[in-house]
Amino acid sequence: MASKTLYILLCSGEHEKIQMAAMIASVAAVSERPVEVFVSMNAILAFAKDASADTRYQGGTFSKLLKEKKAPDPITLFRQGRELGDLKVWACSMALDIKGWELDQLEDDLIEGALGLTKFLSDAENGQLISL
Amino acid sequence: MADQLLDVKGLNCPLPILRAKKALKDVPTGGTLQVLATDPGAVKDFEAFCRTTGNELLESKNEDNVFSFVIKRTS
Repeated sequence: MASKTLYILLCSGEHEKIQMAAMIASVAAVSERPVEVFVSMNAILAFAKDASADTRYQGGTFSKLLKEKKAPDPITLFRQGRELGDLKVWACSMALDIKGWELDQLEDDLIEGALGLTKFLSDAENGQLISL
Repeated sequence: MADQLLDVKGLNCPLPILRAKKALKDVPTGGTLQVLATDPGAVKDFEAFCRTTGNELLESKNEDNVFSFVIKRTS
C-alpha cells in the first residue's frame, strides 16, 4: 500500500525542532514514505553552507545534550534520508529573497530547489502536514 | 545464520533504521540481514520498519539487552 506523502513545514531555527524534523523525515523516507520538507524563516539559516557547527542552530537545554551525546547532525540526517528514500527538501522562495540568497549559498546535495508556499500547500492537500 | 551482519549497538534512533535500510540495499532479494542493536525502541521500530517496507522480520530476540533481528529482503 502506498503511503500518503508526509509534508513538513520547517520554520524554527531551534536545534531541537530541526533535529526532530530531520528524524521524522529520514525515518519516513527509509520506511518508503515520500517526504517533502519546506524550509523557511529561521530554519533556513541552519541550511547555510557557511554556517559554523557551533552557531548553526539556536537551542536550549536539549540542544546542549544533543551536542554532548553527539546525536547525528540534522543536516546529515536529511542527507541520508535523501540518499536512501524519496525525500525532497525545498527552500522557501520568499525566505531566499528576504535574505538575498541564491540556492548555491545553501548546503550542497540537499536542496531540491526554491519553492513557493502556494505550491507546497496545494501539494500538501493530499498528504499529511506537520509543522515545526 | 544470516547472509550479512549489521552491528548498530550503542546507536540511538533513528540511526539503527537508517543503517539497516542502507545495508539492505546490498542484500539480494531473498537474502537475510541480521541486525544487533541496543536502542530500547528498536523492537517496535524494526517491526514497523519491516511492515512498511514489505520486508519480512524472521526473528526478533533479546539476549542480555542486545536485540537481534533477522530481516529477509523481500522487496
